[in-house]
Amino acid sequence: MEQDEQTTGSSSDSISFGDMLPSAGVVGLIFSIITFAIGLAVGYQQIGSEPSGAIFSPTMLSGTVICLISLLGGTLAVWHFVKEVNPYIKLGQGAALGFITGAIMVILTAVYGEIWNFIDPEYTDKLVEATIANVEAMDLPDAQRQTMVDSMASTVRQQSSFLSQVLWGIPITGILNLLSGMVGVKIFAKKEDQETF
Amino acid sequence: MKRLSNPFLYLLVLICVSFVFLASFGEILWGFSSVGERHWAEKMFFGVCHQLPDRTYIIEGAMMAVNTRCFGVFLGMLAGWVLIPFAGSYAEGRRWPVTFLLLAIVLQIVDYLGNLVELWHNTNHSRALLGALFGIALSVSVSDLFIKRKT
Repeated sequence: MEQDEQTTGSSSDSISFGDMLPSAGVVGLIFSIITFAIGLAVGYQQIGSEPSGAIFSPTMLSGTVICLISLLGGTLAVWHFVKEVNPYIKLGQGAALGFITGAIMVILTAVYGEIWNFIDPEYTDKLVEATIANVEAMDLPDAQRQTMVDSMASTVRQQSSFLSQVLWGIPITGILNLLSGMVGVKIFAKKEDQETF
Repeated sequence: MKRLSNPFLYLLVLICVSFVFLASFGEILWGFSSVGERHWAEKMFFGVCHQLPDRTYIIEGAMMAVNTRCFGVFLGMLAGWVLIPFAGSYAEGRRWPVTFLLLAIVLQIVDYLGNLVELWHNTNHSRALLGALFGIALSVSVSDLFIKRKT
């Protein structure tokens, strides 16, 4: 049965870029919505709350969660591909699928950011103000506090620039998902020389 | 040392991982950015790292582009990748690399949560060390896929 599938087009040799796009698109779409929604919810929570001066601000927590979720993209895209398109995927193809998934996540997140700028044009400024207020309430030496203010404000502002997000975001997110895509191949893909009885 | 089954892919990923590792040094390796402008390396990592200055290695005022845990992860990834030609044969057909990866992930979460609820206080060095463990585990988990099988 499996041999039949391989000879009728299910072999990994027949996998093209177009075959990968649905899996990369679905996972990229879902993950970008999740990460953007988390970032937005936490952003508004920070805007609406009094500055606590806590190092573990909601923004930082969301950054860590978003990072972990982003890294899973490549692995899950390979899982989706193996389940829905072709169980035989080569290591290099899994790596490429992971990279594409990472790139799609970055682009879509940047697109949502642009859309949100139309919906709430003051969001970025309000978030910068709230972030600065929180850092200023921290019990830190003046020099360190100023460095943190500059760093965080700059980070928040950069997140609102579409081109900056896409150009600077794709290489690293892509490479990390490339690796997680290979882990996906290791865990989920069937080997073409694997015999089943 | 065994022959690699995907030498081109191995080399490509080695270049990518080396680039990520070198870029993560930020101002320490690549110099300071212009006044009022964010460093290019910090721009690259802002989507995957919170880049808090007090959780980042700083040498003579020059700051890395990523926090200590992320730096550890990238260092471990590179070290693990270099080890693949040697580790692959020990990983071939065995489950320990994936178990090792899962264990490393669990350790990150436990360390993070323990620090968050103030059960303990982790340090820059401890975060870098645990990050490196995860990075090595990530690379080693795919090592057997790069080893040529006997036919």
